[in-house]
Amino acid sequence: MTSHLGLMVVFSVFVSVAFAALTRDEPADQLRFGARLFAGFMLAGILLGWLLYPLPL
Amino acid sequence: MRATAADRTQSTTNPYLVCAAAWLVPGGGHLWLGRRQKGFTFLITLTAMFMFGLWIEGRLFPFDLSQPLVALSAFGDIGIGLPYFIAKALSFGAGRVVAITYEYGNAFIIVAGLLNMLTVLDAFDIAQGRK
Repeated sequence: MTSHLGLMVVFSVFVSVAFAALTRDEPADQLRFGARLFAGFMLAGILLGWLLYPLPL
Repeated sequence: MRATAADRTQSTTNPYLVCAAAWLVPGGGHLWLGRRQKGFTFLITLTAMFMFGLWIEGRLFPFDLSQPLVALSAFGDIGIGLPYFIAKALSFGAGRVVAITYEYGNAFIIVAGLLNMLTVLDAFDIAQGRK
């Protein structure tokens, strides 16, 4: 797997699941919080990618 | 109200032993304390994250104190516990610097270790009766 987006998705899934399990006790709460966290990761990653795109690195 | 099996386990266990178990086996502390759902979640997620990092050619860093960032990365790596030692024994984690996924692999491995350190703290809090 070499897709940057794919790796970001996999990373976000792992971290979201771990944090949801760590910070919430009820499975329904974990699912809700994990989904929000995952969506936040994806949105922030894509937004930062677009913002950084013009920078010469 | 009757105490649950998990409550009874918490009152009779040494929190430091729980921490050791939690570090050695991801989710081990939670499983010991009767939090099976969380324990299995950590066991599967963190171990899979660590293995995924190795699969995409991340590196298990050595404890090289002359290079502080390498030593810090090694500290993060070892946070995963037993999987780290198994991977070392099987000669995984050599890391291929020119691989396009090398840095991603390092991030997966280090973050898996750091997340496991958080689960150790969580298990300690549960063992102390704070959660």
